[in-house]
Amino acid sequence: MLRHDCAQLPDIVEATVAGRALNAPLAAHLASCPSCREQVEAAAFVRRLADTPDAPHPLPDPAVIWWKAQLLRRWQAERSASAPIERMHWIELAAGLASLAAFLAWQWKTLASALAQVIPMSLASMTATPAPGHPLSSVLLIGGAASVAIMFLAALHRRLGGTSR
Amino acid sequence: MADHAAAVRVEDVGAQTQADARAELLTDYEFRELYAEHARPLWAYLFRVTGNAADADDLLQEAFCRLLAAPIATRDSSQLRAYLFRTATNAATDLWRRGGRGTRRQEPVTEDAAVTASHGETVALKRDMARTFRELKPQERVLLWLAHVEGSGHGEIAGTLGLKPASVPVLLFRARRKLAALLRKKGYGPGER
Repeated sequence: MLRHDCAQLPDIVEATVAGRALNAPLAAHLASCPSCREQVEAAAFVRRLADTPDAPHPLPDPAVIWWKAQLLRRWQAERSASAPIERMHWIELAAGLASLAAFLAWQWKTLASALAQVIPMSLASMTATPAPGHPLSSVLLIGGAASVAIMFLAALHRRLGGTSR
Repeated sequence: MADHAAAVRVEDVGAQTQADARAELLTDYEFRELYAEHARPLWAYLFRVTGNAADADDLLQEAFCRLLAAPIATRDSSQLRAYLFRTATNAATDLWRRGGRGTRRQEPVTEDAAVTASHGETVALKRDMARTFRELKPQERVLLWLAHVEGSGHGEIAGTLGLKPASVPVLLFRARRKLAALLRKKGYGPGER
């Protein structure tokens, strides 16, 4: 059974890895404890592996790393500077939607009655004889639809612009 | 190479150090000194834990870029070294989590080294050593290297790997036991080289 609670284990491993000779009690314990011997063997292997010379691999050029770091700093500064603008885009969108909602709530009755006049007119135009609708209702309806479309397109443009940055 | 560098998040270092009024950016001269001192051991560590020279290059660059990208409060070499190893280990962990190249593109890491080595180990034995080490899990390789090559304490290793300090000795014990079993399986007896 392997044990990880040998009190001597840390000292034995440390001394072995450092290449120091073990004192008598530690050496005696090591001789009698297969678990500690195994641990020492593994630690010594890692140490040997580290001491094996690596291939003469050229390290990355420090000048390139320096240059990359400067670039990163600039990007970071740019991002910090543009963060309030990014936030404002969302505030703009929220304000636009809130205004639209307020307008709809405020003019709901007018819009509903205008809509009621226009829809029968369209149905009638489909069947045969066109009936004249109230000109103001048409203007309101077209204007409202156009403003909603413009807002939607603007929001979409900002969203796509934001993600592509 | 560029994908790692692009993934560098400089806020990490910035948030850590900008609060300190004494924090300053490293100068070109300071950086070059630091690089000369720590780049080779850091690369060797990354090479052994990733098993791949290209990944080791990328992670080395990432660690130094992060160090350079924000002001730092200390110029103490050992603290900066610990920071570099921690940052590089985190970046390597991210790479493994993304199912990165470390697990797919292992190189025959010591063939060239064996040819140029001055002492008398055989080519096959050296290749086997690196291969045996790579059979461990990434976290086990990191644990063993930091503990037995870098000489990091349990607290430092715990900080690097995001573990509880109390669990480090247990994990180290298990990693050594696993490595010892692999060594036995491969026929490395005690004292064999």
